[in-house]
Amino acid sequence: MSVIAPNFKLSEFIKSLIDDIVWTVLIMSLIGIPAIMMILFYVPMPVIDGELLTPFLAFTYLADPSRTLPIVQAFMTTDMFKIMAFPGFGFAALLAAGTIFVERKMLAKLQLRVGPFYCGKVEGILQLMGDGLKLISKEIIIPAKADKPIFWAAPVLFVASAAAFVALIPVAPGWVVADVDMGLLAVFAVIGFFPIVTILSAWSANSKFPFIGGIRALFQMVSFEIPLILSLLGVVMVTGTLNLSEIAASQSSFPWILFLPVGAIVFFITMLAELERIPFDLPEAESEIVAGWLTELSGMMYGLVQLGTYLKLYAFAALFVVLFLGGWNGPMVVPPFPMEIVTEGIELGPVTAKIAGLPLFDQEMLNGTFWFILKTVGVIFFILLPRGVFPRIRVDMLLNLGWHKLIGLAFVNIFIALGLVYAGVLGPGGLQ
Amino acid sequence: MKSKLVGEIAGNYSTVVLMFGFAIVAMAPALLISRMISPRKKSNPVKFLPMECGQVPSGEGRTHFMMQYYPYILMFVIFDVVAIFLYAWGSALLELPKSATLPILGFLAIMFGAMSFALYQSGRRRIW
Repeated sequence: MSVIAPNFKLSEFIKSLIDDIVWTVLIMSLIGIPAIMMILFYVPMPVIDGELLTPFLAFTYLADPSRTLPIVQAFMTTDMFKIMAFPGFGFAALLAAGTIFVERKMLAKLQLRVGPFYCGKVEGILQLMGDGLKLISKEIIIPAKADKPIFWAAPVLFVASAAAFVALIPVAPGWVVADVDMGLLAVFAVIGFFPIVTILSAWSANSKFPFIGGIRALFQMVSFEIPLILSLLGVVMVTGTLNLSEIAASQSSFPWILFLPVGAIVFFITMLAELERIPFDLPEAESEIVAGWLTELSGMMYGLVQLGTYLKLYAFAALFVVLFLGGWNGPMVVPPFPMEIVTEGIELGPVTAKIAGLPLFDQEMLNGTFWFILKTVGVIFFILLPRGVFPRIRVDMLLNLGWHKLIGLAFVNIFIALGLVYAGVLGPGGLQ
Repeated sequence: MKSKLVGEIAGNYSTVVLMFGFAIVAMAPALLISRMISPRKKSNPVKFLPMECGQVPSGEGRTHFMMQYYPYILMFVIFDVVAIFLYAWGSALLELPKSATLPILGFLAIMFGAMSFALYQSGRRRIW
């Protein structure tokens, strides 16, 4: 093979590998292990087998799978795990990454192109990783006379606002980062942050194209905020609660989209507008104003804004699922965990090991997550689809649509909900 | 309905703030790492000019920009609050007596009147 670098020497390659290993072991033992111990001293330890775990024991247990699992299980109930991994940031970022890849491939198929193809051998599956490496190694150019602190902070704040939105989404029964009574109002509050971050970024760049884009984003989000809020009032009226978990749980027999289709359509259209997706992508209209409010963002700052955008997309799709499509409810498809593993243990050849705490996730949670992800992916598909189909609309058409048509339809939806409640179809004494 | 302390209710929202903080703590290093490993060349001052399609920009970047849709901002300030007020009624609809809907209908009638007047005025472009 001639593709290997011409100066390649096997001995030096092995030497570099050994060097790496030695350095890793050295740094691990000098810094890593003390750091882990220090962290363990500050983490509240769980009680296992009737005795309180000490940091020393916890560290030793980590090497033994049958003893690691209870620790992992105890860790999974903490807020930190929920924020970092499962219903929180990690889960959402994974779905967002998948969305970016699917969007690029699907859009390419719609336009009879191939799309990402070479990176990662199989249909360009590593394209996103390559893009990330490219973005992180690119120079960040800040325009002269920009307001530097705000310009640096805006992409991070954008991702953080999107993460705060994700925090309010219930994924499975009990699996939600912030289970708050006023969940829906908190969602509206968080949505209100996005235009502020957008206009801050646009204003601080000291450039005309971002400023025009930022103003457009402000107008767009302002004119679609009211139909957004009003279209969800119907769901609140028939459920009588603002807690998102309770709203999802109330749809165990039928989703609200069957009774309130008008509200679902209005919410979907306003969702497209809040997400700045085609046909409402005026703030970043690339054929008119370069890239709108993203014009001056370069390198990793642009990457962070993209991450925030797709986190927001996931959160909106998940909100649609929770409010109109029944959230985690669905027929049970996940098989129950085999009880003999819990009672008798696992046989591996001659050895029978009994591992404590094995069903890490219960059947209900796995089933709920499955249905939630399935529905969310479906909604994300319908959010992506208009990009290959529709042209962009003008700003006066946008305002006309938002103020004259969608608000009227949202009120129609409210009266439908009112009629359903007073006719006794829904609510106490009705269906369900 | 069990009563709760105000601090208890506010404490429920701490995880939202934690998530906000976690995203900042997790994502700010990406910018720092990028700043460390990426090239930084100050070869040419033109490179740091704002983007205006290759032209040297003239004038201020933060100018007054006429969008001509100012009435919609004014309407937003009013009707956003009105829409949130409706939630106070909507979330308690199942527990309220049916006669409580009549004042809300009156409220909505006033709101529709005001909104149609505002929309009519916003359509008259030359007065803005």
